[in-house]
Amino acid sequence: MNRRSATFLFAAAVFAPSFAWAAETDPTQFVADFAQKGIVDILAAKVPQAERTQRFRTMFKEYFDLPAIGKFVLGRYSRNVTPEDQSKFDSLFEDVVVYTWARRFGEYNGQSLKVSSSTPDGGDGAIVKSSVVDKGGDNIAVDFRLRKRAEGYKAVDVIIAGVSMAITYRQEYTTVLAQGFPALVVQLQKQVDDLKKQQPT
Amino acid sequence: MKIGSTLRVVGVIVFAGLVSGCAHVPPASDPAGRAAFLENNDRLEPMNRVMFKIDQAADKAIIHPVISTYHHVVPDRARKGLLTFKHNISEPVTFVHNILQGSPGAAGRTFARFVMNSTIGFFGFFDVAEKAGMPFRSEDFGQTLAVWGVGEGSYVYVPFLGPTTIRDGIGLGIDSFFVDPIAWYSYNPHNAQWVQWAELGLIYVTEKDDNMEALDELRKSSIDYYAALRSAFRQIRASEIRNGAPPPMEDLDAPQ
Repeated sequence: MNRRSATFLFAAAVFAPSFAWAAETDPTQFVADFAQKGIVDILAAKVPQAERTQRFRTMFKEYFDLPAIGKFVLGRYSRNVTPEDQSKFDSLFEDVVVYTWARRFGEYNGQSLKVSSSTPDGGDGAIVKSSVVDKGGDNIAVDFRLRKRAEGYKAVDVIIAGVSMAITYRQEYTTVLAQGFPALVVQLQKQVDDLKKQQPT
Repeated sequence: MKIGSTLRVVGVIVFAGLVSGCAHVPPASDPAGRAAFLENNDRLEPMNRVMFKIDQAADKAIIHPVISTYHHVVPDRARKGLLTFKHNISEPVTFVHNILQGSPGAAGRTFARFVMNSTIGFFGFFDVAEKAGMPFRSEDFGQTLAVWGVGEGSYVYVPFLGPTTIRDGIGLGIDSFFVDPIAWYSYNPHNAQWVQWAELGLIYVTEKDDNMEALDELRKSSIDYYAALRSAFRQIRASEIRNGAPPPMEDLDAPQ
């Protein structure tokens, strides 16, 4: 459970300059790029919160394969869901993730991401191992699961100290789905509204 | 009252609840519900949710304020020292399980950690072994049973203690009564009985404190906190059993 979310923000956000030389097809480079952009354009950027949130949303959609994650999160229920419901879910889910992370941008305090290795995963994918290191030297393991798509690598999961974000959302949401798809939509909408109220100004 | 008899009473209450609160398995006509049910491994969900409610009410009223006060009053370095001390007194148990899991190399590292931290680490308050390249790794009887091929058994939520599984709960009981040297020490009535109570208090406070921030965040970022916590707990245990390897995600690439 350790510091699931304190890190899950920084995981996305910090970078390792030593990896800037790596080839573009290198999965470690993909993660390093994402972290570099996150820290320069979002966490360390002196822009209003709304602008940071917008930049994060754009970046998140660029680096993550959201439709694939949405399907995985709905589990076998995704077979019964109409395309309209799936896209409704995808947009609510995007909001949940964006606002969950965005409300903690202000907690960034000089952490850095050290990319350590990449191992093949699921055919043409990879798992990139890294750790978020804070100023006191404490570190937390953060792994990125990547898949190769037509336009290059996309992340499909972030695993923090052994806890996969995709699996956690899936196991939570499929529990709610036992009450039907409309129940999930109602609860996600309420969650998005709550998260919006918690955003710093 | 001796700690052993107290915990036995708690055990009887929990297992009386176990037989009464079973969930219905979704029928074959609901394959998605059935798949989710099996994946979540929570046959006792109705009872567990009641226990969870009791636990959360107690947490809100008493435990969270106490731990939060501890967190804010005791300096960071002192809290870290106590957590390290708690890790250190658990090393003998980890050592036994390194052996039972057939990992003599890990057993050697655990032994070296215990000796280093108990001496130059000032009775275990400083983790000098970690700086020497031997990070803390906890093993317990639940993990050993898993390595031996024993399944989780259903998920169980125990008020005040939190999430566990049948396998891990039994493992914790065996570790607490038969493996932990402090339990053996307190079996002798001539020895000080408060030592085991102090150990229990130390474990409780340091673990609650260590998890508080993450749990608060999980609560705020979930729509079904019970289900999110169940998932996170089971993933952490599975990760410990795999010794840190990433989880498999079989149907990620399967056509839907």
